[in-house]
Amino acid sequence: MWQTIIIQPMTNLLLWIYDVLGHGPHMFGLAIILFTILIKLLTWPLNASQVKGAQAMQELQNDKEWIEIQKKYAKDREKLAQEQMRIYKDRGINPFASCLPTLVQFPIIIGLYQSITRALSATPFDMLQLARTVYPFQNVENIIPLNSTFLWMDLGRPESIQILGYGLPTLAIIVALTTWVQSKLTMPASSNPNDQSAQMTKMMSIYMPLMLGWFALNFASGISVYFIISNLLGVVQYAATGRANWSNLFGGNKTTPAKK
Amino acid sequence: MKTKRLLLFFLLTLGAIILSACSGQPLANNWPGLAADAERAYISSGSFIYAVDVQNGKEVWKYPAEANNKTLFYANPVLTEDGQLLIGSAGSEHPFISLNPETGRENWTESFTGAKGAWMASPLVLNETIYAPNTDGFLYILDLNGKQAADPIQLGGALWAKPSTDGTLLYVNSLDHHLHVIDPALGKTIETIDLGGAAPGSPAVGADGVYIGSFASTVEFVQPNGQHESIATAKNWIWGTPSLDGETLYYADLDGVVYSLDLASGRQNWDGLQPDGPVVASLLVVGDQIYVATESGSFFALDRDGKIVWEKTPGGKIYTSPVISGDLILVAPYQADFALAAFDAEGKQAWTFAPEK
Repeated sequence: MWQTIIIQPMTNLLLWIYDVLGHGPHMFGLAIILFTILIKLLTWPLNASQVKGAQAMQELQNDKEWIEIQKKYAKDREKLAQEQMRIYKDRGINPFASCLPTLVQFPIIIGLYQSITRALSATPFDMLQLARTVYPFQNVENIIPLNSTFLWMDLGRPESIQILGYGLPTLAIIVALTTWVQSKLTMPASSNPNDQSAQMTKMMSIYMPLMLGWFALNFASGISVYFIISNLLGVVQYAATGRANWSNLFGGNKTTPAKK
Repeated sequence: MKTKRLLLFFLLTLGAIILSACSGQPLANNWPGLAADAERAYISSGSFIYAVDVQNGKEVWKYPAEANNKTLFYANPVLTEDGQLLIGSAGSEHPFISLNPETGRENWTESFTGAKGAWMASPLVLNETIYAPNTDGFLYILDLNGKQAADPIQLGGALWAKPSTDGTLLYVNSLDHHLHVIDPALGKTIETIDLGGAAPGSPAVGADGVYIGSFASTVEFVQPNGQHESIATAKNWIWGTPSLDGETLYYADLDGVVYSLDLASGRQNWDGLQPDGPVVASLLVVGDQIYVATESGSFFALDRDGKIVWEKTPGGKIYTSPVISGDLILVAPYQADFALAAFDAEGKQAWTFAPEK
């Protein structure tokens, strides 16, 4: 099922883009970039709803009525939950709207990783699996084996640049950095010290760059290319909607006063 | 708040575990390699190379003593006339090593580590020189002590197949669809032929040239001067090395069709012989029988008319080409309960070998 719904279409799409690009050196890297752009376009509405949902939740944390019910029902969790649900309903807020796009990203990342390793076929067994994955319309005899070279990288292997005998994991650093920049830009400002949502977002902005940087350090560099392009497009999307919080990057934390 | 933190931590950890699971197994994964002499069979199966006594199927030695998932062995080991067993690692570290076939101890004080890629192909030894193809696209040239004897020859695409030789020239196919004719005396390629598709199997050497199958589903005949022609087709990709027996060329494809081509007339000796399952392994011709191993885990003996003489189902999936050792035919299934099985010419199973876990 996973194979049919995720791996097969993704691998074929990657191979098709690679074929259209002329299947030469550097083209598989370009195919991953185009694939990422396509995925971002397809998930654009989801990401937009995430931004909107996160913003609504953020605003709610500073809302006077919301703060009051937190205090009023601090010792009655059942009643507090009921009141929270009422406010969600009244304001038309879906509390899970900000989580869904993140969850959707996971199968894409896992599927992409498996598609890249399958498409690059490091061993005869991988090549045989690839033969079973491609759709009949693909001109696969002509395009395999794929050329895994992209700029200075082998997309099938973790990346590093040798400097004075040490391997500097350039891509892992860029992945961590772009993830941090994206999370900082998307982190809404808050003046409420008890703002749970803001604290969660702050934790995410620490954990996510470390986690993705670790992935980039240990996994095929093709997945790092996906992370970087995906992060940059995320920044562009936030900037385009005018919601990017540049003050988080350049200091001078902009605060939003609580609504009355 | 504490619950939400825990939930966040749990989700991130879960994501890490799921992604890690993608590469939880060794970087390279492949079916085993197999070689044999009259006394022992040698199986390269992931972290270990095993020597097995062909008289009784018992383990003689294994190398290395402890598993190291950075060095993985999948190529067919190669026995040399001076008593070495040669193989390179396909893991993230890729030393090229020489073992003593009797003891499993390393022969060279230092293994060759000059290649950038994994060793999926077996080396060829010709005139006391080792020609070792690597996935980095170079053919490395070593002496029998593991020292570089000449500059490596760059051929382009990854090299997965053992070179073939007519005693003078080398024929090396790279995965980028090319067959290279190399003159070892000159140390360079003298002809390069486009096969129209990747060719993971070695060429079969005939009197006037070589025969090679490819993913273009054709068999090409290539002469030393580079002249070549398609002499036969298949329904699907041809993976293994064609087997030349006199004037007959046997080969099979991924549709599981087995072919017998009469080279004199250019006609197929039989039509539509499709025993059971895709065929990746090379066919083995011994005496009057042709042995066919399939991905479905079946092992067949055919006569020269294409009639099935006997059929066995050792299990697992068989991609490794069967080899002969004395009177026994050895089969190394992949993902089976055992790593090696021995059959006699009548199809009677002599023994199986499963490494100790």
